[in-house]
Amino acid sequence: MLRLISIESFKLFRKLKSWLGPLLILVLVLVAFPLSIDISQYDLEKFYFSIIVVSLLMTAFVATEGMFEEDFEDGSLEQEFLIEKDFYKLALCKIIVYVLLIGVPIAFIGSIFSFANGVAIGSFPKVFLLLSLSNLLLFNLFAFGNSLSINKGAMLGVLSSLPLALPIIILLGRAIRSVQFGDGFSEMIALMAGVGLIVSALMPLIISAALKTHID
Amino acid sequence: MITAFIHKFSSPKSFVVLTAKLYPYFICIGLCLISLGWIWGLLFAPEDAVQGNSYRIIFLHVPSVIYAELIYFFMAVCALMHLVWRVKLAAYLIKSAAPIGAMITFIGLFSGSIWGIPTWGTWWQWDARITSTLILFIMYLGILTLHGSFSNLEKADRLMSILVVIGVINIPIIKKSVDWWSTLHQPASISVSSGSSIDPSMLYPLLISVIGLGFVLISLGILSSRSYIYTREKNKKWVSEYV
Repeated sequence: MLRLISIESFKLFRKLKSWLGPLLILVLVLVAFPLSIDISQYDLEKFYFSIIVVSLLMTAFVATEGMFEEDFEDGSLEQEFLIEKDFYKLALCKIIVYVLLIGVPIAFIGSIFSFANGVAIGSFPKVFLLLSLSNLLLFNLFAFGNSLSINKGAMLGVLSSLPLALPIIILLGRAIRSVQFGDGFSEMIALMAGVGLIVSALMPLIISAALKTHID
Repeated sequence: MITAFIHKFSSPKSFVVLTAKLYPYFICIGLCLISLGWIWGLLFAPEDAVQGNSYRIIFLHVPSVIYAELIYFFMAVCALMHLVWRVKLAAYLIKSAAPIGAMITFIGLFSGSIWGIPTWGTWWQWDARITSTLILFIMYLGILTLHGSFSNLEKADRLMSILVVIGVINIPIIKKSVDWWSTLHQPASISVSSGSSIDPSMLYPLLISVIGLGFVLISLGILSSRSYIYTREKNKKWVSEYV
């Protein structure tokens, strides 16, 4: 596991576009949104989280684009299959690395920008936790979409997996309301963490099955 | 034993032979029932006290959205069979059912929009039920696109099955969306536990339309899957002997 995590971290760091691109897109959206519409600070506070939700979706999609493509093209996937007979560990490690190196910074940036848009400073840990867990779910989902389409273009992956983002958006929407109104936040976070753990344990299995199909 | 049973009755040849006898009856029964349901509903059922005659689109809208979900559920069962027991026929059925599912979901959305104008004053609302049904429609298109993008059809079958199984999560969301959110769309009028809130003079033609459309869709599914089986199995000996 550690071997795979270090390899995947190294590979991701090497691909500047893969980790810096999503972060810059997020910053761009979060900066451009308040500038592009003329609304009061009070209204901005109400709408800001919706923009974060959309930004998370977009950045998670961009970040995971081509997640397995390079490995598929250069034969690393086949090599990994010969060693492990399975892609569970590889998928799990890739998701962990992507969440830690891209998802968590995205959550951090999103939380910082939320202060500039009227969210109380005391809500920082809540917003950060919420966005980190959402990223965990979204990265799992888009990793799945990517494993289906692998080298057939990002559109196919997103078309296939975007409808599945609906349950995540529902959870995120509920959690955001709980941050805004200070009601039932712990319960929502516990639910999201539970779902996140289940999805993180099961999704690599599904991704592994999809990747095996490509190798067969 | 289950595996032996599945393999015996799920070969494409057995399916083609069995359905050749069945589908003419299904078409006749379906068309008769749907004609009866629609004539009864459109001409003889009483006018609604609140909505007037506009409610009569219910005889198309409700059956189509019921089958939009049921077809996906059927596809999910087939996908599971394909992934677990490697049943080829199950993948053929998914591929044949997906365009029918997309078509009936579109009819459901379109008829709902038409109904929305006189009742809600808008043809579209980003309401939970409507949006989740739109997502189901996109899901059908995604499945078809995914399958169409691979030249290796066995690979396409398996990837499509994986996506179908994962996508089944949307079905309970669509079903429960009217309970989980405060939506413009009304909650279910017919339920197993609490019966029906629709007057019998409107309920019976509705039920007949639902059953009739079911038979019509099964017939369409059989025709579509037979044609797809011939295409996929065209190099097999049994096809040249049978056709």
